[in-house]
Amino acid sequence: MTHTQIPRISGVLRSPITFSVLAGLVIGALFLVGTGADPFTAYGAVLTGSLGADGIGSTLSTGTSVLGMALALAIPLRAGLINLGGDGQMVLGGITAAVTGLYSPLPAPLTVALALLAGMAAGAAYAALAALCENSLGVPLLVSSLLLSYPAVSLASYLARYPLKEPGSSLPQTRAMPNGVALPAFGDSTVTIGLLLVVLAAATYWFTDKRTAFGYEIRMTGLNSRFAAYAGVERRGLTLKLMSVSGALAGLVGAIGVLSFPYRFVDGSLTAPGYTWTGLTAALLAAAAPLGTVVASFFFAVLAVGGLAMERTTEVPRELTQVLQAIVIVFLAARLRFPSGWFRRRSQATSQESPQEIGAA
Amino acid sequence: MTRPPVDPTVELRGITKRFPGTLANDAVDLTVHRGEIHALMGENGAGKSTLMSILYGMERADAGSIRIDGREVTFGDPSAAMAAGLGMVHQSFKLFDSLTVAENVVYAAEPRRFGLLDRAAARRRVRELAEEHGLAVDPDARVGDLPVGLRQRVEILKLLHRGARTLILDEPTAVLTPAEADALFAVLKSLAAQGRTVILVTHKLREVLEGSDKVTVLRDGRVVARLVTADTSADEIAAAMTGRAVDLDRVHAPGTPGDAVLEVTSLTTDAVHDVGLTVHAGEIVGIAGVAGNGQSELVEALAGLRPVTAGQVTLKGRDITHVSATERRAQGLAYVPEDRHAVGTAPAASVADNLAMGHHRTSLSAKGLLPPATVRTHAGRLIERFGIKAATPEVPASALSGGNLQKLLIGRELAHEAPLLLVEQPTRGVDIGAIQNIHDQIVAYRDAGHAVLLVSAELSEIRGLADRVLVMYEGRVTATYTKDEADEQALGLAMAGGAVAPTEAVD
Amino acid sequence: MFFDSDLLMSALRALTPILLAALGGALCERAGVFNIGLEGMMLMGCFTSVATSWFTGSAWLGVLAAALAAAAYSLILAVGAVTLRGDAVVLGIAMNLLAVGLTSFLLRTVFGVQGTFDDPSLAGLPLVGGFTPLAYLAFVAVAVAALMLSRHVWGLRLRGVGEAPDAAATLGVSPAKYKYAAVLISGVLCGLAGAQLALGNVTLFSENMTAGRGWIAVVAVMLGRAAPVGVLLAALLFGLAEAAGFRLQGVGLPQQATDAAPYVVTLVALFLSTARRRRRTANSPSGATT
Repeated sequence: MTHTQIPRISGVLRSPITFSVLAGLVIGALFLVGTGADPFTAYGAVLTGSLGADGIGSTLSTGTSVLGMALALAIPLRAGLINLGGDGQMVLGGITAAVTGLYSPLPAPLTVALALLAGMAAGAAYAALAALCENSLGVPLLVSSLLLSYPAVSLASYLARYPLKEPGSSLPQTRAMPNGVALPAFGDSTVTIGLLLVVLAAATYWFTDKRTAFGYEIRMTGLNSRFAAYAGVERRGLTLKLMSVSGALAGLVGAIGVLSFPYRFVDGSLTAPGYTWTGLTAALLAAAAPLGTVVASFFFAVLAVGGLAMERTTEVPRELTQVLQAIVIVFLAARLRFPSGWFRRRSQATSQESPQEIGAA
Repeated sequence: MTRPPVDPTVELRGITKRFPGTLANDAVDLTVHRGEIHALMGENGAGKSTLMSILYGMERADAGSIRIDGREVTFGDPSAAMAAGLGMVHQSFKLFDSLTVAENVVYAAEPRRFGLLDRAAARRRVRELAEEHGLAVDPDARVGDLPVGLRQRVEILKLLHRGARTLILDEPTAVLTPAEADALFAVLKSLAAQGRTVILVTHKLREVLEGSDKVTVLRDGRVVARLVTADTSADEIAAAMTGRAVDLDRVHAPGTPGDAVLEVTSLTTDAVHDVGLTVHAGEIVGIAGVAGNGQSELVEALAGLRPVTAGQVTLKGRDITHVSATERRAQGLAYVPEDRHAVGTAPAASVADNLAMGHHRTSLSAKGLLPPATVRTHAGRLIERFGIKAATPEVPASALSGGNLQKLLIGRELAHEAPLLLVEQPTRGVDIGAIQNIHDQIVAYRDAGHAVLLVSAELSEIRGLADRVLVMYEGRVTATYTKDEADEQALGLAMAGGAVAPTEAVD
Repeated sequence: MFFDSDLLMSALRALTPILLAALGGALCERAGVFNIGLEGMMLMGCFTSVATSWFTGSAWLGVLAAALAAAAYSLILAVGAVTLRGDAVVLGIAMNLLAVGLTSFLLRTVFGVQGTFDDPSLAGLPLVGGFTPLAYLAFVAVAVAALMLSRHVWGLRLRGVGEAPDAAATLGVSPAKYKYAAVLISGVLCGLAGAQLALGNVTLFSENMTAGRGWIAVVAVMLGRAAPVGVLLAALLFGLAEAAGFRLQGVGLPQQATDAAPYVVTLVALFLSTARRRRRTANSPSGATT
């Protein structure tokens, strides 16, 4: 039986993902030693702080946002598209949900549903705009999505500081949602049914990816977009669809943020924790595969929440977890060669056998 | 000359090179003398390219020795080979399209003034070399704007600028019209007359007979014949190359055309002007032409991958001029593209996923669902039917050999049983066994009553398969021939633009 | 008077960091390495310059250290994308994230503060005629880069490597060597850009203080088509937008509107330039110059 086990174990160890995560942890440990902390105590604090009774709730509520953003970024990434505008889409979703929650005349439960949908619609529309920039105006998605993000964040910030500002408050925030306009929470924790919504989104993504013709087209576009186009997959339409879904999920995360504690839109509170970048990191680590994205998101939520506990016990700044995350991706990107055609701008992959086409450029 | 010429110039002894699974070169000896044009011949996969890669320092031999001008050498990389006076023109040119001719020629061996590139000197150098060797080309032209024939001149000028005494040319005429090829041979002959040595890697009989002094034939990695061109014949070389009596020009029996399936009238798109053609059920129509004369653009326009500016395309009587690629496939079109790695497959995806493409919304799916089990079963069926050699359907397509990948691609498209098959360069870079298999499949497909439009740069392929041959030149159909009329001479002339009056495609 | 010499001065100040970073990006682009890690390299430069200036008391040592640190940091891209053939886009994103994390971490461990480090005794760069010497250096760098690329043998080889690495390799020019050189130079330039930002434009370090300027530089490379003078014009456009934003703030526009201005201007400029290029290629199939 050792015969079958050894290759399996070495296969797992040789996988670039395992390697990158281990490398990240080792380098993190070096940092810890460098600041005079004991790595085992520190990592222990990360685990107990995030998975212990006191931390698990926080991990799950952080995990809700991380997984939501990770899915938002993984879905286009599966087709080789990188959406860097998650912040803008999320914040627009949040502020739209806040406006809906504050001004909807409907009964509270319906208002919650409407606010979620409105947030998703806002995020979707804004992400679709970035897709249109690529499709019709020829601005690469990577750039158009990122550049559009900044004005969206500024707009939401303006709204929260001026027209929608809570009267009398010194903080840049809107009024609190009316009574009952909130996502139901589990017990007295901060975990809301928002978690169920993003898990449902993950399940839908898994099913689409594995078992539908549409998911197949997305995967093939990611592996070789010219191949998919040759067989009739229309790239512009696909970009628009995937970006809309991506933006809708980002908007959902924003709306969930507003409809959970503290039940209002606070300027900067959605973007400050860096869900977008953590989500992108998780999606990249998992190569956008559905189950992998869920696992990676949980892992990063554990790091983020456990980082706080680590800071309390060892006085090592929690920013270390952010360093660790980035190192994992650096290693992954350097060791793992993503399939050709995943990204627009890349060094030319040379096919050895086919003679190069010779024609005027 | 500082030293008296030593004879022979290039001497390879016992070169052996093993790749996983194949013995690419098996104790190959090759001797080339100063001032001669020496043809190295063989089918695809015979080991010519490996041998030249070893000579040029791009690969390392497992055994054997190389002598240049009598001295034993080992080249770690091409620049070492270049320093020893070798120079190679690769089949796919190694040029910088955005740079000028002069910049390309002097690149990495630049004349300088104060560390800056001396453009005037570079220009002068190109003019001198061009004049001396009859390789006229404007030194200030951007290489990307030049036609293929002139780019090849730039490649040769590059070698001459570096003082190459031995020139290796890999399939130099693959992209040339017969007239351009003749001009090239005139240049090569004058170079040889000046005492330079030329090694010509090719599989084309005609140019070997007309242009070379000696011939070495490789088969399965071994030298099977050393011949003096003047004393040999096409039949003898061909027999040596294939190892059997010549069936290179095997001509399949003609089909029996039925109703028109594809009708194209006055089609215009990028690089295609006013093309009209008809393909009937049970008929293979071949499009011959030198690469880059609009064939690829025409096929892409027919497949729905390139917008049509003017004209009409009908498939079984229905107008499909402006419908999407998906819709065309649904109406009954299958397509084998020219570049199987970049377009025809996703090498990183599994064999099963590659075989599902195009079927994934039709026979394999119901209500948008695509069960993995169905994809696997479908793959298993095609692998068996077309004899694709793959360990399992789960291995990535990149693990397949060139011939097997092509079988996968052709099998997948044939399995659509579409009334119209578009097929481009079906056997490029495929070994000879697979070529016959692929040809037989295409003919069987026609005989089952389907229409086939075949684009190929190989005249023998066109003549062997096509029931009717159209020749494209500069984006137009300039000649149409029946199977009997389509002899090599007529086609060659038309491909070079010799058939001036655009003939209507009469059916 | 809205457009006056003050506006131009502040535009030139705003453009300096972008210009330095974008020049580095342009060199990488020419060498065939897509460098979107400018933001992160710049941020490393910001932190190193401030830390070094603080501990040595010399802003010039800060500049030197910033250039060296950012160049060392750029090795991640060089090794990852050139030697290991990893994906430059993912590497660049990861480098930007790593820089934010690393500088925030160091800000807390080295200075013991969170958010911003700011001290009146922190030595900033001197001003000569209203600008730091680095601003003059940026313009000199444009001229040098333009000359190197168009006239120098090194530039010719670099362009060749970027366009067709295998063709360069067959002529004995090592693509890896040139790509490494381009990436390392971009590291040095981004380090200078960071120093200019943290010791010139302001005299402090704050978390993520580059705030998207590296991305603007990436866009400037696209807008300027990786030509030094083109990049200069693109950076000037951004500088004007930022300066005009400040000016408008004085007229009563909310800060958020003016914060967003440079990004919107950049995006619109990108639209216009791609639209113009498209129209032109549609009109003349041979393509046009300029």
